[in-house]
Amino acid sequence: MDSSSSQTEFDYLFKLLLIGDSGVGKSSLLLSFTSDTFEDLSPTIGVDFKVKYVTVSGKRLKLAIWDTAGQERFRTLTSSYYRGAQGIIMVYDVTRRETFTNLSDIWAKEIDLYSTNQDCIKMLVGNKVDKESERVVSKKEGINFAREYGCLFIECSAKTRVNVQQSFEELVLKILDTPSLLAEGSKGVKKNIFKQKPPQSDASTSSCC
Amino acid sequence: MSSLLTPTQRYAAGALFALALHQAQIHQTRPLGGSLPTDEEDSTGERISSGSSSDSVSEDPGLWVHESSGLLRPVFRFLEIDSTAWLGLEETAGSSPAKSHIGAFLRLLSEESGASSEMTDKEHALSKAIDVMAQSMETTTVISNSKKEKHREYEHECREKYSVADMQSKSEQVNVHFETQPATNFNVRSEEGPSGSDNKSDERPVEEVMMLNYQKKVTVLYELLSACLADLPEDNKKRMRQRKGYDARHRVALRLLATWFDLNWIQVEAIETIVASSAMALAKEQESKQEETQSPKSSWAKWRRGGIIGAAALTGGTLMAITGGLAAPAIAAGFGALAPTLGTLIPVIGASGFAAAASAAGTVAGSIAVAASFGAAGAGLTGSKMARRIGSVDEFEFKPIGENHNQGCLAVGIFISGLVFEEEDFLRPWEGLSENLERYALQWESKNLIAVSTAIQDWLTSRFALELMKQGAMMTVLSTLLVALAWPATLLAAADFIDSKWTIAVDRSDKAGKLLAEVLLKGLQGNRPVTLVGYSLGARVIFKCLQCLAETEQNAELVERVVLLGAPISIKDENWEAARKMVAGRFMNAYSTDDWTLGVAFRASLLTKGLAGIQPVDVHGIENVDVTELIEGHSSYLWATQQILEQLELDTYYPVFRSTPAEP
Repeated sequence: MDSSSSQTEFDYLFKLLLIGDSGVGKSSLLLSFTSDTFEDLSPTIGVDFKVKYVTVSGKRLKLAIWDTAGQERFRTLTSSYYRGAQGIIMVYDVTRRETFTNLSDIWAKEIDLYSTNQDCIKMLVGNKVDKESERVVSKKEGINFAREYGCLFIECSAKTRVNVQQSFEELVLKILDTPSLLAEGSKGVKKNIFKQKPPQSDASTSSCC
Repeated sequence: MSSLLTPTQRYAAGALFALALHQAQIHQTRPLGGSLPTDEEDSTGERISSGSSSDSVSEDPGLWVHESSGLLRPVFRFLEIDSTAWLGLEETAGSSPAKSHIGAFLRLLSEESGASSEMTDKEHALSKAIDVMAQSMETTTVISNSKKEKHREYEHECREKYSVADMQSKSEQVNVHFETQPATNFNVRSEEGPSGSDNKSDERPVEEVMMLNYQKKVTVLYELLSACLADLPEDNKKRMRQRKGYDARHRVALRLLATWFDLNWIQVEAIETIVASSAMALAKEQESKQEETQSPKSSWAKWRRGGIIGAAALTGGTLMAITGGLAAPAIAAGFGALAPTLGTLIPVIGASGFAAAASAAGTVAGSIAVAASFGAAGAGLTGSKMARRIGSVDEFEFKPIGENHNQGCLAVGIFISGLVFEEEDFLRPWEGLSENLERYALQWESKNLIAVSTAIQDWLTSRFALELMKQGAMMTVLSTLLVALAWPATLLAAADFIDSKWTIAVDRSDKAGKLLAEVLLKGLQGNRPVTLVGYSLGARVIFKCLQCLAETEQNAELVERVVLLGAPISIKDENWEAARKMVAGRFMNAYSTDDWTLGVAFRASLLTKGLAGIQPVDVHGIENVDVTELIEGHSSYLWATQQILEQLELDTYYPVFRSTPAEP
């Protein structure tokens, strides 16, 4: 999967969402994916947003990725970001069991409750596999959960960047395989209300920028 | 404690403000409840996945919520929202549909607890102070009933003097009128008051607002307003906004937010007054170096004070950024008059309550923009200077009306008459208004205006016209003119009669518009949002002013609202979209399909291109209001304007035109 950040032309625009308990590494995962770096991050406040341009199987894609805060106090907030997402990434920490059990107790329910997209692709990501010695959630458990819940599954490490690109790529490939999601993300329905104004207003007034 | 809100609450407040700001920009071209319903956006948004369907905010510098507009980030910084969260907030504001986000953030605002009891106490003190302030402002409004009486007298006088001819024509043409010109209300639902049901669902989309208590709402608005006015000294990034002070777009966003909060606008006006007067009182205090501020030594307080001292050292006449310009001389003389504005609160909320409110207020006051000083030059002086420079405009002068001067009003209204028979007609049509604005009437080119108005009047009472009206011909005249194929010979004569004077007046109004734009660009209104209202040629002044602004400005930071009444402005020849863009809030065009005086004066050749004063302007975001029933003839604007303005409910965020006046 090639990626370049300078590119602004794209064929499809997909909205992806990262959810999961606080401290499982959602923001790190995103940072690792978008800028190939890893650093200690403070807890996300509310939501963060990043854009990444990628080319997957010949399609130029723009990924708008929403990174939500895992902290309980922001839980109320995340609900409004499920709407319209084509892909949802549920992240847990393989060294903390409760982050895994909370997926079925909390996060999966949230998705059912708030996601507006029937076909939306879900992916389970077990993060922090670099801490193999501290692992408490086995890969097998992850696979079983994914099978039961009907979602993709991968284990990765934001720190070592193992499987980070792959996780997003797999998700995007699946979205590209789903016609209804593809239709949503295609440029045809892309609408920017400020660009729908009558042409003359654009011509006369917005030359400045 | 530099804020009355917890960090999470400030985050939520910042988010709501961002959402409101973005929605306000959308409503610029798609007013709520308009013929292009915002529902459409919402419903399609739901069907087609919203988030994926719009570009991200960071890629569209034209957006108000974009970093380059400089509207949001200073507010975030003031609220001490962690800078890592800014991008997410901006993008959230830009992602549709806003409704679900509004609900979520409101919930966040209400759920978050953990405020210390000290904060809650302060919150109560503050909201109480605001209540009292709002009450006292409402009382002032009630007093204005006597002004209404005066206005009725004025109406009576005017009618006797000027409307004979018009009224005759009206009474004779009524029956035909409805066939030829079916009154259509574009964009505006005239039947509903502000409480109209479908309306409500539009801008009060969220039941979460019920979870918020009143004190919290008021506190949030207070902090946001302060943030809007604040001028953070550490903001050394390249500044995108050319001027500091109170941006019209900020005010519109606050207005929408108040609507979401289900608060009356007068509460926000009370907040504005408290913020402004405490800022000025504090500055005064600093100037005389009497004592320390009572605010605790947080880092905020420190630089805030630093900001004040620095500003005070800079110039003797500080704080002109928000109060200067038009009011400069009066303010300079009357700082003392402001302290009482706050002082009146003490008996009601008690000294300790006042201290709490004051310390709450004080957390902000120090940081309010001190951008520039205009010295003691009032607009009269400046105006005449400019007039000499531009040359052909002989008279251009602002005259204060109403009592709201030097009261810490953070919004300015400029009212412009167009049809004038004597000098007092510049002032009297506007005197009975009850808006809480610092109001000014623009007196301009009285010689020319009186000449043209008298010429029109003379012609109306002339034999020709009376004859025509007797034959009931006038009712069809306008539709004829609109078709503009055949001109009745008598009308040609009329046009000639009025023509030369009219041409001069139109030319002068264009120039006056340019002057007005210059005044606004220079910030003589004190960098406060301006509401422009004008009828007849006065409306043309405003329109030309907006066009001039459009040439130099990129955005609507100066003008908050515009009302054009009976405007002699061509529809097709002018760039209405550009003018619309210069207005942050509502843009109203009131027209009368019967106003044939305007039609005659404006000439048939131009009528084929449309005329704003007699037709709706079909441009997105312009509220067209049919006032045919209130306007008997062009000169009716002299006295009917006030009623029209009342029915328009300028202080309401969304388009409204009450079909029945508040009082009989």
